[in-house]
Amino acid sequence: MPTNRLVEKEKVVTYAGALLDAANQMGGQEGVLEIRDELEQIVRIMRQSIDLTEALSEVTYSPEQRAALVRSVFAECNPVLVDVLAVMAERGDMGLLNRVCASFEDQITEKLNVTVVDVTTVVELDDHLRQIITQKTSAELGTDVVLREHIDASILGGILMSANGTYIDASVKTQLENARTTLKQTVDGGEC
Amino acid sequence: MIPGAKKGMFKVGLTAACASALSFATPALAFAEEKSGIDVILPDMNEFIPMLVAFIILVIILAKFGWPIFDGIVKRRDEAIKDSLKKSEDARIESERLLEEYRKQLADAKSQAAQIIADAKKTGESVQADIENKARMEADNMIEKAKAAIDSERKAAISELQGAAADLSISVVARLVGEDLSDDDHRKIIERYVNEAGSFNAN
Repeated sequence: MPTNRLVEKEKVVTYAGALLDAANQMGGQEGVLEIRDELEQIVRIMRQSIDLTEALSEVTYSPEQRAALVRSVFAECNPVLVDVLAVMAERGDMGLLNRVCASFEDQITEKLNVTVVDVTTVVELDDHLRQIITQKTSAELGTDVVLREHIDASILGGILMSANGTYIDASVKTQLENARTTLKQTVDGGEC
Repeated sequence: MIPGAKKGMFKVGLTAACASALSFATPALAFAEEKSGIDVILPDMNEFIPMLVAFIILVIILAKFGWPIFDGIVKRRDEAIKDSLKKSEDARIESERLLEEYRKQLADAKSQAAQIIADAKKTGESVQADIENKARMEADNMIEKAKAAIDSERKAAISELQGAAADLSISVVARLVGEDLSDDDHRKIIERYVNEAGSFNAN
């Protein structure tokens, strides 16, 4: 008899697989990447809004009410994604959304042999940098690589890359913080 | 004076009074006619015999009544003196014994007092040494704590100064990087960091 954890894992894989297949059928790789971006945004929004998260999982609402709530809140998103989220809300599985997002990422790599690498920089990448980054990450990950570029001035400089939950932080901000920590920790060197 | 002695004295006085009365009873014999020659120094029998009789009577009376009284008085006096002497001797012996005992007790007391003083002095010296040791330890402890506090304060001040210097330095560098670097400079940095950065496969 399967345990609750196995049942939940199966649910997560099923939701992510259904979403990937539907997205791939509708828009190919670009459609998949589009849905991936929207799914990441939704996860980020739900982390920031406790009220929204609780409302979508509220057991006092009927399944239809929860599904209607999802469709109204995420009306601007891809219809395939909205359909899957509505089903999750109906069944009271919105708490699995983070894991569905991670599984979706894994299945992209498995089924499409593509890894999405999020790249954050201060300035926009030129083609030369895109080529260098793509070659390096593709060689390391062993799959095709799609770069999702983000601009964030707060990192001051350098680059921040993440793929499949792994981060490479080569930002100037982090290096300065490391330098600050090192300077503050070297107390014994201050003897006069 | 004891009653017996008083009574005896009374009897002796009465006997003497009787003898005197007897001699005065024959005044004619005393004032007989004058004598001459050896007869002057020889006793006149007319006087001698009554006087002898009176003397014998006086002696008998005295022997009968006076002597036992005097003898008793003398004996009692002798016994009293002997008893007093004996008591005095006993008292002397007792006083000497007590004196010796007191001397012995005084010597013991002096010895005990000397021992007590010696013990007190020894205890006092020990207590003084303990107090000095304790005070010295407390002083050393306070000095150590003060040194530790000063060292801690010094380190904290150095750390704070170092932290402030680090914050200031990092702030200056961050501002310089943010304001002075061009897009091309940023891209060069990105390229260098990509080549130098770690791998996704590294764990």
